[in-house]
Amino acid sequence: MELHSLKDSFDRVAKKRKVSYSKTHEVTDLIVQEINKAIKVMQSSTLEYKSELAELKKKLQEVSPLNQLEGAQKKLNIALIKYPKALEKVFNRDISKAYQNIEFDSPIVNQIIASHFYRQGLFEVGDCFIAEAQDAEAAVAMRSLFQELYQMLEAMKSQNLEPALKWAAANSNKLKENGSDLQLRIHHLQFVKILQKGSRDEALKYARTNFASFAGNHMAEIQKLMGCLLYSDRLHESPYAHLLSPTNWDTVTDELTRQFCNLLGQSYESPLSATIAAGIQGLPPLLKFMTVMAGQKHEWQSMKQLPVPVELDKEFQFHSVFVCPVTKEQSTDDNLPMLMSCGHVLCKQSINKMSKNGSKTFKCPYCPTDIDLTQCRQLIF
Amino acid sequence: MEIDPLPNGTGSTAATTTTETTVTATLPTAVSNTTPSSKLSQLTESLKLEHQFLRVPFEHYKKTIRANHRTAEKEVSSVISSVADVADSNEISKDDAVLSLTSLVSRLQGLKRKLEEGSRTENLQVQNCRARLDHLESVDAENLSEWNNVRFKRILVDYMLRMSYYDTARKLAESSKIEELVDLEVFQEAKKAVDALKNQEVGPALAWCAENKSRLKKSKSKFEFQLRLQEFIELVRAENYMRAILYARRYLAPWGATHLKELQLVMTTLAFRSNTECTKYKVLFEPKQWDFLVDQFKQEFYKLHGMTLEPLLNIYLQAGLSALKTPYCFEDDCTKEDPLSQENFRKLAMPLPYSKQHHSKLVCYITKELMDTENPPQVLPNGYVYSTKALKEMAEKNNGKITCPRTGLVCNYSDLVKAYIS
Repeated sequence: MELHSLKDSFDRVAKKRKVSYSKTHEVTDLIVQEINKAIKVMQSSTLEYKSELAELKKKLQEVSPLNQLEGAQKKLNIALIKYPKALEKVFNRDISKAYQNIEFDSPIVNQIIASHFYRQGLFEVGDCFIAEAQDAEAAVAMRSLFQELYQMLEAMKSQNLEPALKWAAANSNKLKENGSDLQLRIHHLQFVKILQKGSRDEALKYARTNFASFAGNHMAEIQKLMGCLLYSDRLHESPYAHLLSPTNWDTVTDELTRQFCNLLGQSYESPLSATIAAGIQGLPPLLKFMTVMAGQKHEWQSMKQLPVPVELDKEFQFHSVFVCPVTKEQSTDDNLPMLMSCGHVLCKQSINKMSKNGSKTFKCPYCPTDIDLTQCRQLIF
Repeated sequence: MEIDPLPNGTGSTAATTTTETTVTATLPTAVSNTTPSSKLSQLTESLKLEHQFLRVPFEHYKKTIRANHRTAEKEVSSVISSVADVADSNEISKDDAVLSLTSLVSRLQGLKRKLEEGSRTENLQVQNCRARLDHLESVDAENLSEWNNVRFKRILVDYMLRMSYYDTARKLAESSKIEELVDLEVFQEAKKAVDALKNQEVGPALAWCAENKSRLKKSKSKFEFQLRLQEFIELVRAENYMRAILYARRYLAPWGATHLKELQLVMTTLAFRSNTECTKYKVLFEPKQWDFLVDQFKQEFYKLHGMTLEPLLNIYLQAGLSALKTPYCFEDDCTKEDPLSQENFRKLAMPLPYSKQHHSKLVCYITKELMDTENPPQVLPNGYVYSTKALKEMAEKNNGKITCPRTGLVCNYSDLVKAYIS
């Protein structure tokens, strides 16, 4: 985003402030100067000090320091008003315009937040939050669930695969059921690690103990690993150098997290961050609508459906939504999508309307095929 | 993917070939609905939501400027009038005059030191404002996910601060090193008043009102009045009737011109005991009134500082829940990747409107991937639909046979019909 003009506007504020500051110093110095002059005169001569005081008073009135201060401040005030106006031109002043006055139940929100902290491994923050919020204790269960994962990940950071191996072995059957080769991948990393240390025999022994059970489905990979044995002391020069890359560890870390969440029945992505991300995408069109329909907020607050379409990125599409191209309405249980013989799909109500409830054939709106209601099939996505 | 004419399954060969070539030619850019340029415009739209992010440190800076300027003005004005006093005084001796003047000089030196300090504080605030502008400018395609992560943490810290969970706010900000991007310092000002109100004391809140008198007056705020009313009620509760009346004369009467009805209502509590059963007045004696004052303070505070009246989290949460809410989310087999498969999220989403879409988006039951022109949907003889990718894979592994995962129906890949959905 280009923010040049805003930055300039702000710089102007800072500059004017500097000016008003130096003016204040200047004025203060001036007053000090005059007073000191007067003091000197009064102390040196034995003459009329009263007149000197009167002189001083007059001088100060002439100089009018307060007016000078005000003058500099006035200029600053103009800049201070211009900048927020510039801000409001670029940014949306009130993003709660589309907010519906429905109170969120605080304990529920707090539980969601606490769960989020724990599943992201922020245990300290989570504990602190539960202590302060006092209505989110139910989320503590998440803590014990995810602690195991983060212990494994922490160990892996220092190249220790033992906890991960143990877990993968314990859950080996379920992992296989889910089609995950996680266990083999961890063994793979361990194998390369041993090989890096240069102990070819140990690596061979490791392979013998652990790779056998995977031979059925992953022969090609195992063969590759066996090939590494030939280069045990110069792996980084071999054609297998890429196995040394740290990204392999990242991939395994990722798969471990994914499978861990999977086996717990949890989503991979934190539901809170997914919802907020969806909200960030969804809010701009809602706000645009609110600006246009400024007066009618109350009306749509009790609506069953959002008044504007909100198109989110595909990672937020969890369910099939069919929109009839004719009516632009979403299909429901009473109004299912129907496949016409030409391959195009309309909703049942549209087809009924166009065929006058089955009394005549009609032309598909996209291709000139003749459609008969009885030939249309209900679709289930 | 708007209103383009759909590829025709049974049209003339000549027309079909041209349509097909155009379709393939445009496929690389038209497939996903997040092309680089649309992703950029989506990002710009989301950046426009960040008014609070820039406004708060600016208002804070403005306040400091005004306060420092007022100090300087006051001091200078006071010195000048003191000089006038000395000059006008008839009985002052020369020595005393010199003494007075010297003390005035040292006052001005003191002012200069204060100005230096004030300038340092202001410079830090200027830096903060600039740092935030830079932060908004810094986001691009490469660091987008990291930047979004930071935005999410900012939203959480904002929530913590507003709910008065100050320790959590600090911990969260420190752990992600985003102290410059959040308003910990600004909320310290609120903490005193909020804590006191929770302890049923109005002192700090009244001090805050005095500090911000002119701006509160401009917005016609009656918050100070509400604080005074509560103090009055506390006096009545303690049966300090005389003090209550004196208090009312001094602090409540000035508000009578604009808020007579409310004043009269509260004054009438004098006639009741604090444990009265009369509902109209019973409610005034309830401790809940203090919670109401805390909320009122927060609202006034937010308004003054350029913040939204609702926590950012609630705003985005509500929009997100609505945007994700479909009737299918509440079914038992809803995928767990959908946040609305979770009980807590469902509860929050209950009173909210459903999402609305103008374009069909179909998700394959098997692969959970989008079924679009690159991976079109295919229909089984029983009406169930799956993606070409999933069905092809299934057919390859099973001698060209397809088994519907939901009904068990077996058919051949050749029995499938392509559906054309825009």
